[in-house]
Amino acid sequence: MNNVYLYNDSFNELISLIFYLLKNNIKPSNIKDVSYNPNLFEECIFFCLKSKEEDINNIIEQFGYYAFRCVYYVYLSTNEFKELIIYYFILNAIKYRKKITYMRNLKCVHETLRIAEYVSHETHKMKGFTRFKEINNNILYAEIEPVNNILELVSKHFEKRLKNEYWIIKDVQRKLFSVYDKKNFYIIPEENFKLEDFTISNEEKEIKEMWQLFYKTIGIKERKNDRCRMNFMPKRYWKYLIEMEDEL
Amino acid sequence: MELKEKLKILADSAKYDASCSSSGSNRTSKNGLGNTAIAGICHSFATDGRCISLLKILMTNCCIFDCKYCLNRKSNNIKRAIFTPEEICEITINFYRRNYIEGLFLSSGIIKSPDYTMELMIKTITLLRNKYHFGGYIHAKAIPGASEILLKKLGSSVDRLSANIELPTENGLKLLAPNKDSNKVDKIMSYVKENQNRKFVPAGQSTQMIVGATKESDLEIISKSSSMYDNYKLKRVFYSAYIPVNKDNLLPTLEKPPLVRENRLYQADWLLRYYNFKVNDLLNENNPNFNILVDPKTDWALRNIEFFPKEINKCSYYDLLKIPGIGVKSAKRILQARRNFTITFNDLKKLGVVLKRAKYFITCNGKYFMNSSYFKKDFIEANIVLEDKSIENNKIEQLGLFNE
Repeated sequence: MNNVYLYNDSFNELISLIFYLLKNNIKPSNIKDVSYNPNLFEECIFFCLKSKEEDINNIIEQFGYYAFRCVYYVYLSTNEFKELIIYYFILNAIKYRKKITYMRNLKCVHETLRIAEYVSHETHKMKGFTRFKEINNNILYAEIEPVNNILELVSKHFEKRLKNEYWIIKDVQRKLFSVYDKKNFYIIPEENFKLEDFTISNEEKEIKEMWQLFYKTIGIKERKNDRCRMNFMPKRYWKYLIEMEDEL
Repeated sequence: MELKEKLKILADSAKYDASCSSSGSNRTSKNGLGNTAIAGICHSFATDGRCISLLKILMTNCCIFDCKYCLNRKSNNIKRAIFTPEEICEITINFYRRNYIEGLFLSSGIIKSPDYTMELMIKTITLLRNKYHFGGYIHAKAIPGASEILLKKLGSSVDRLSANIELPTENGLKLLAPNKDSNKVDKIMSYVKENQNRKFVPAGQSTQMIVGATKESDLEIISKSSSMYDNYKLKRVFYSAYIPVNKDNLLPTLEKPPLVRENRLYQADWLLRYYNFKVNDLLNENNPNFNILVDPKTDWALRNIEFFPKEINKCSYYDLLKIPGIGVKSAKRILQARRNFTITFNDLKKLGVVLKRAKYFITCNGKYFMNSSYFKKDFIEANIVLEDKSIENNKIEQLGLFNE
């Protein structure tokens, strides 16, 4: 039987589980969150562990903040084997310490850095591609559909940028809301949050049309280049980019 | 005139300015709206593939000048419009709150006088910063000939201030922009350079040159850029392939804007700023224009083939930067990696180094990527040109582009 070790879906619990496995010399065939459906040859094992803040601090102190950030970003990704990649990364980091992020010839390091970069790039893109609209009571509302679970990272950006506004960002696929009350943002699952019905005011429509007009005007037709545009702004993001409405 | 129509006219007139970067500043505003991101953020990409980061508009497209190449020249019979400062503030804030933009790019045609125009721009930007408490990015164009006191005022409330040199030589400028005086642009650049600090133009200055409207060679253009980088500490020089918007005997007739040439100039510009190349390495009197077939770095490498192949595990950082296909990021990764292990070709891939070009010019631990007797200039050149061509063809077939 292949042993699959389970954790409650949180970063801290994953890290605690990995340290527990390493300490007890247990080699997992996979690590998954509790919602995982095992196949015929797998057996799921769940330890009741208390997640410890010191495990996280350990990573930061011993392997460096950059390594920690990479590991966290991999956790936010949708890679099928992300937990296993993190496990092997930490296993090697215990040996190489702060040098670990230079050891790109190791598969687990190469993958960790590659995935972390991908998550970081998507976050950067989303800072630009998120489109708010004003709904009832001056609340700004945006919907996003990122590949990775970056709602928290995106919210951190808007917390600084739109700090005097009430805003809500919804990750449509993951059914999560990020709600900002001019002090902090809170990430709330759909079942615990009700967004009241809203109508779009005429003024809002007007502003949106102005933006669409600006978008159409600013491109130079003698330089038209769809390939270049597509490279920078892949089609998967167009759904919420209101300036692309006509081209969808 | 309706606000929408104004926006259409004044964005249309502003679109030929290439600069749209929003990087280099980290402004925070205590109680207002917005901040800036040091790396800059692109919010959308226009139909021509260029990044849209800022609301790029003119204050007005009325102009007392008659520059041959410019859409807004006095002698053109086009619709003219002028924004009020309040209108610009409203649009900027409305767009910024919805995250359409990173900030404002404000330029202008010259109405009445340079001073009068600058005062209008200052009024707009002061209103935006002080009444609307806008903390986002602002890039303003300085109007050549405006007084120093106005330059000082404008520079204290924007992130980037720039003036366009437009053409690389005095002769070109005399021919096509008889009302413009390059000394006035130089004056702005020196002033900004002397006074730049955390409070005054924190993101530095840039400029733009039109490519292909006059007869200047690439050597003249790139020499001009190089001297401006040295003299004025410019952040960027933008190159804008000439697009014929006006008919004039003095202007060339082009079927298509010289986009490949523009691209070569940008590549060379990067080599000057980040790769320790000098103008003379790239071009000289006998060879004054870039090779259209291959990029300037590969071109240089082929002409200096005796410098290669370089051993990835031994050669210096500066030599790494000279290898075609290896950029600053790759070079730094190689340095970090080789302190910890000996790099093989396979490892290079894991480092994220693109081998398409680089493989011809390197050895890894003494090994060439194929039989070392193939390390010959002609062979490498033929391979690179053919590889580029076939990639280009595939892309055209796949996407059916360039039909128009």
